[in-house]
Amino acid sequence: MSAGTSSNAAADPSAPAGHRGPPTSTPTSTPTAARPRRRLPGIGTLARLALLTVGIVAAVLPFVWMLRTAIGPSQTALALDSNPIPSRVQFDSFDHAWHAGDLGPALLTGVGVSLAILALQLATAVPAAYAFACLRFRGRTAMFAVVLATLLVPAQVTAVPNYVTISALGFADTRVGLVLPFMTHAGMIFMLRQYMSTIPDAVLDAARMDGLGTWRTLRSIIVPLAAPAIASVSVFSFLLSYNEYLWPLLVARSPGIATPPLALARLMTDSSSVIPDFTELAAAALIISLPSLAVFVVAQRRLAAGITGTGAGA
Amino acid sequence: MGGSRVGWRAGALLSPAFVGLGVFVIGPALVSALIAGTDKTLTGPSFDWVGTANARTAFSDADLAGAVRNTLVYCLITVIPAVAIGLALALAAERVAHGRALVRFALFLPVSANIVAMAVVFAYMFDSSPDGFANTVVGLFGVAPVDWLGDTSTALPVVALVGAWRLTSFVFIVYLAGLTAIPRSVYEAADVDGIRGFARLRHITLPLLAPTTIFVGVFVTILTLQTFETVAVLTKGGPLDSSTTIIYYIYEVGFTGSFRIGYASMIALLLLVVIVALGAGGALLGRRLRRAREAAA
Repeated sequence: MSAGTSSNAAADPSAPAGHRGPPTSTPTSTPTAARPRRRLPGIGTLARLALLTVGIVAAVLPFVWMLRTAIGPSQTALALDSNPIPSRVQFDSFDHAWHAGDLGPALLTGVGVSLAILALQLATAVPAAYAFACLRFRGRTAMFAVVLATLLVPAQVTAVPNYVTISALGFADTRVGLVLPFMTHAGMIFMLRQYMSTIPDAVLDAARMDGLGTWRTLRSIIVPLAAPAIASVSVFSFLLSYNEYLWPLLVARSPGIATPPLALARLMTDSSSVIPDFTELAAAALIISLPSLAVFVVAQRRLAAGITGTGAGA
Repeated sequence: MGGSRVGWRAGALLSPAFVGLGVFVIGPALVSALIAGTDKTLTGPSFDWVGTANARTAFSDADLAGAVRNTLVYCLITVIPAVAIGLALALAAERVAHGRALVRFALFLPVSANIVAMAVVFAYMFDSSPDGFANTVVGLFGVAPVDWLGDTSTALPVVALVGAWRLTSFVFIVYLAGLTAIPRSVYEAADVDGIRGFARLRHITLPLLAPTTIFVGVFVTILTLQTFETVAVLTKGGPLDSSTTIIYYIYEVGFTGSFRIGYASMIALLLLVVIVALGAGGALLGRRLRRAREAAA
């Protein structure tokens, strides 16, 4: 199946990285050499644009609807309003949601817990990834397989024993209890190791020649070189921790240490006993989405690069 | 093979990670396997070894059978559209010359979304009221208002829609990365050979993306098998258990009602077996593909 492909690829390795425009159906009248990016749109291009437009609308719609609901006039289950343009704009809902859901403490807890988890994960995963990528030792393959195998264990399998462990340590219903079980992450070790494996042996040999020990090599050679990958996994880690729902649901019993998703879910449950105020819920959803959205906006490229480093090759 | 000095250093570098994985993942998984053989509850102080009784219960548990069926339906209507649409979007977006950053930004958004926040928004959009968003939209086509989350035939598909919405974005990112990894020289060579358009997609792009497809398919299926948040927030498994997935059933059995964590652990263990089999199958398939490719090269 791929035989022809490979030989084609090998046939012309020196071909220049050419234009990005679609190489199909060149209209004869268009001077392709002069303006390779501008062509008359064909049916394929139109179909592609239509698909992309639908995809983008579908991807963005829930966010837009969340915003539209949050700033629109008050809505309850008894009186919904699905006009795309709200008849009136208000911002009181944010104030209501902030107080009703106790969102201030929840945001602090969520961001604090996520950053603490990130710090612990980097502290455990960076050295481990370095060992797997750059050192040769007995049992390396087997140990790496064990690390990968842990990725398959669903959180529900470990939840009960972890709850027992955390309670025994006296951390039930505390922020430490929210952090500790996530102190390391096999996915992070895997992604960092993949990246560090691409560091040429010559670099490591040079470090050894210069008399750098294992620690110095890690600190002053590996970490700077792997900085892009470290940034990528940090973004992933933050988004995962910040959005985590099951573990806080089990551990954070008292409202004072609720994480943002938990605070929102409780706000929703509380309000379903009365008539839900969707404007307030949408405002709360928007508020708790802000930290992860902010991280996403700032680090969007890193997110993509992180997946490029692993997903494509796996 | 390294000497003992390297081994010692590696041990020092690896031990923090292995302490974390050992205490909070590997150990608990083993403990969980042991608990699965008992009738332990979270509240009761004493428990007995019951051997395979929990497994036998599981295979004759009608509620679990329903949850398995729901999970299979959920996987089918989530994974297949997510992979197909994610691939189509990636193929379309790859060749966008203008506004590339905007396209990617919009299509990446769902991955970063807080799933609980999005579940709340979807719950609102699919409200049973005739004026709800979804009912307004289907009303344009003359369809009578639907009680989306309150009807046994629509609750699971709506929950799956939230999952598919998010997964499509993930699949898109992975395929985009896979497409970027295909050297342009391959396409140029194809162009020289007169292979273009759909033929190029079928005979060159898709085969080259096969490893990505295996990775995406397996990974997304495993993620989907563990669906919890959307069910917990949108339907709590209802109505009449019509949207109870396996993971949500485990939560119900082990963490609510009579807290039967022995039985819950057994179900989780059975699920883990399925997940490991899927993961191993994917890895094997990927390896065979690589071998075949190397043999062809």
